[in-house]
Amino acid sequence: MLVDLIQQLFNGLVIGSIYTLVALGLTIIFGILGIAHFAHGSVAMFGGYLTFFFIQQFGIGLFPAMAVAMAVGALLGVVLERVAYHPVRNAPPINAFIIALGLTLIIEKANLLVFGVDQVIIPTGFDRVFNIGGVTLPELRVYILGIAAFLVVAMTILINRTWMGMAVRAVAQNRPAAILMGINVNTVSMFVFGLSSALGVAAGVLVGALFAVAPGVSGGLVVKGFAVLILGGLGSIPGAIIGGLVLGVSEAFASAFVSSAYKDVIAFLLMIGVLLIKPEGLMRRRSNR
Amino acid sequence: MIRLVLIAAVAFGGIAFPYLLTSNYFIHLAILAIIWMIVAQGANVIQGYTGYVSIAQAGFMGIGAYSSALLNLNAGWPVWICMIVSPLITAAASLIAGYPSLRVKGHYFAIVTLALNMVIFIVLVNWIPVTGGEGGIAGIPAPESIRIADIEISFLSRVNYYYLVLAALGLVMLIIAALLRSRVGLVLQAIRQNETMAEAAGVACWRYKLFSFVFSASLAGFAGSLYAHYMSFLSPAPFSVDHSLNAILAVILGGSGTLAGPLVGAGLTVALPEILRIADSYRLIIYGVGLVIVVIFLPRGLVPWLSDLVRRAVRGRTGKPTEGR
Amino acid sequence: MNRLCMLAVTTALALLPQMATAAEKTLTVGVSDALSGGGAVYGEPQRRAINLAIEQINAGGGVHVGEDTYKLKTIEYDDKADPTEATNVARKLIDRDGVKFLMGYCCSASTGAVASIIGREDVIMLVGTAGARAITAAGNDNVFRTRPPGDYSGAAAGRFIASKGVKRLGVLATRDVALFTQYRDALIEAFEAEGGEVVALETFGGQDRDMSAQLTKLRGLEPDGYFISGYVEQVAFAYRQAYELGITAPRYGFSGGSAEQFLSVASSEALEGVWDLIAIEFNADALGDTAKAYAKAYEERWDAYPTPNSAFAYDQVYVLRDALEAAGTVELDDVKKALRNLAVPEETVLEYLPVDGKMFDPKGQAYISNGAFQFHNDKWDFVTKLPSDSAAYSAYFQTITK
Repeated sequence: MLVDLIQQLFNGLVIGSIYTLVALGLTIIFGILGIAHFAHGSVAMFGGYLTFFFIQQFGIGLFPAMAVAMAVGALLGVVLERVAYHPVRNAPPINAFIIALGLTLIIEKANLLVFGVDQVIIPTGFDRVFNIGGVTLPELRVYILGIAAFLVVAMTILINRTWMGMAVRAVAQNRPAAILMGINVNTVSMFVFGLSSALGVAAGVLVGALFAVAPGVSGGLVVKGFAVLILGGLGSIPGAIIGGLVLGVSEAFASAFVSSAYKDVIAFLLMIGVLLIKPEGLMRRRSNR
Repeated sequence: MIRLVLIAAVAFGGIAFPYLLTSNYFIHLAILAIIWMIVAQGANVIQGYTGYVSIAQAGFMGIGAYSSALLNLNAGWPVWICMIVSPLITAAASLIAGYPSLRVKGHYFAIVTLALNMVIFIVLVNWIPVTGGEGGIAGIPAPESIRIADIEISFLSRVNYYYLVLAALGLVMLIIAALLRSRVGLVLQAIRQNETMAEAAGVACWRYKLFSFVFSASLAGFAGSLYAHYMSFLSPAPFSVDHSLNAILAVILGGSGTLAGPLVGAGLTVALPEILRIADSYRLIIYGVGLVIVVIFLPRGLVPWLSDLVRRAVRGRTGKPTEGR
Repeated sequence: MNRLCMLAVTTALALLPQMATAAEKTLTVGVSDALSGGGAVYGEPQRRAINLAIEQINAGGGVHVGEDTYKLKTIEYDDKADPTEATNVARKLIDRDGVKFLMGYCCSASTGAVASIIGREDVIMLVGTAGARAITAAGNDNVFRTRPPGDYSGAAAGRFIASKGVKRLGVLATRDVALFTQYRDALIEAFEAEGGEVVALETFGGQDRDMSAQLTKLRGLEPDGYFISGYVEQVAFAYRQAYELGITAPRYGFSGGSAEQFLSVASSEALEGVWDLIAIEFNADALGDTAKAYAKAYEERWDAYPTPNSAFAYDQVYVLRDALEAAGTVELDDVKKALRNLAVPEETVLEYLPVDGKMFDPKGQAYISNGAFQFHNDKWDFVTKLPSDSAAYSAYFQTITK
């Protein structure tokens, strides 16, 4: 029984770490620009396809392919910000929202056209399975946890320890003041979109290695990401990290002990519960929004 | 004056449609389009007039469709009764869902309603003993035929069903027009323009918002019932988030906060895929690009833009301003 | 005016080829199949098989119906294996394209939806891989199916698993696709009748690719055998995750699908020794020379090896040809009658078990034998036939409607 419990916990943490990566990207965009970037999941899938393509076509390894895909993803993020979101930055928020929906359609279907309808599984060669006292730890899943942890730490350092990161935090805290202090909000916006899209691509690659990159996956991913955001508090970085892991683990336990059919409902029940009790999210202090 | 002529022309076109285009397939599309217009009119109340984007309209349509079909098939209620009761059931569901959802604003609200739609969808898929899961429910009857002066009107006929949904749409639009002129309608529009101000003026905004949410959901439920008894088959697919987005798209495209906007928008969302059929694989991309362009360049939608154009043209010719709206 | 001109021109253009070959007519069949999404692993091969058969028939001089000779052609739509999409496709094919013969149909839910409305329409519907019982059990006189219903195979599979010495079975199955649930229920019933015990029944949904939680739960109950069923891609993920969880007990399954399809998801170590208990679909080892010839032709035409289920669709086309030639007309009522009395066509790939000497029983259902296949060295080996009595099942089948 204990073995099963630990096994489920491990399963949940692996999935949760992917949710965290998705949610981190969404949360910094929301924190800085107030945009619900629905196309994030499609960008992630795009990165997954791209990684697969690099590995297949040029025979390069998983990690170089992933790095290049993250760079391309970052570029795509910057372009999206410039072309689509920037023109509506002063319009009512609903406009940015609709733009996000439009972008989702475009990228999703462009993926379909370019990469085809078949599901794609990113080959890793990590096929070993470690067994510790009955708990099985597949090599790939262990690496996924490691990669996610590395990216989260790297991003935290970037936000907390660099000049650019300081600018980002300044804009998030008080936009007008940041502008008065001479921070170029345009640059910050582009930086945030690039960073977030790179993280999204990383999540897409991990999903593609563990499961598959395929049409229809991105929608689920982005919705889970937003569920995490509501759990942890929109715009909160620690909230996204904790929220992602909580969501992953509670899904695993829900399907083990309640019903596998309703494991996705658990996420939404958690969300609605949080809204009723603490609408600002688990990790945020009450503010006067 | 122009307005009245236009309304008359549209109404006449709607009534004459089956005689103009006799192909069964076009009538089929027209029925679907009108059902979507009802959904879009509902979406417009919460989105266009109250300023809250709800991504749960398709989910509510599903509640209406399934409850209507199930009441008829399992409880044996006449279809006509089901069509009246199912919007009420949808309203009850949206009342329960709306209370926690409306504690939050803006994007939060949109995301919560999106989650709500997903919950509805998951339940439709997984509550197999009742909903039949992904396999769905087959054999849903059309409304019982009615008899007017020795003429039996059967709704198995597509043309007759067309007139049924057309009449339903007319009714819905009359109700909405009346609502907008009432005090409630004015308050809703005040909330859209400045909720804080409305609150400060002593309006209990949350009641009105809840009303708006429930009202729009029940229209979706009504449309769902019409859909169920037309298609005779139900599965969860048409009630997914994608279709909620379609309803939002219809409102934005046509012009939110106008009565005619959702008609144009919903008509386009049904007709465009057919027109763009040649380029099937590019269809949704074109859609997406269209959406982005409309929001950036015509943020108010097609109908207000067109009426501006017309007004300007008229003014240019007669040299004097036209009266009123 | 312009439109009138256009109309005249297009009509003229449309008439041109027919005037050139006056004696030769064209018969259009509508193909509705899953060409994208999870069902595409069945639908796309069906589409290809139908086109292959049509090209063969056309190259061999077409279909001789009475005085006329017809060439066949297709109009194809993607129904995404989705019920609502499939009914829309049916509307398009019938109302807009005016098609009289519908083919393809790989997936249960979508096909079931179409079958539920098709009774009222003036068409003939030939169903391929879709295995939900109600499709033919409902008794519409214009529906014919080459694939036997799921429970016909499931009962045989349940007895087979028990005969292998399994006492405690852990079941992981697709939640609600009728083909799989009916197969599963028949399997569990037969397995328990042989004295076995099912330790738990876990399920997964149509979009799931992560079954780790369910498998972990089953593993904790320590069954001495597993049964896993669903669409190929999902089952392959389940085998991969079972391997990751260190599960070594024998794994039986029901999904159909080629070795390539499985290997694209799971490694060969993860798949080694897995069983597939299915109606004997196309398999060059289990079925003789016609099957080999089919595989060769398919490979030449499509540059890929045919999937097991593709033969259901290939056979449909020859069924239609023989029925049209026997009827001597394209009138639907006559063709229906001819289908009811049809002998198994010579060119069909699969081994049909006729009932009363006729390919289709009174409900339009055909039967083939069941078999056990085992995954070994990156391919499916045919191991044995499973005892199955088509006449007895058909007699029972006539008494049910869903």
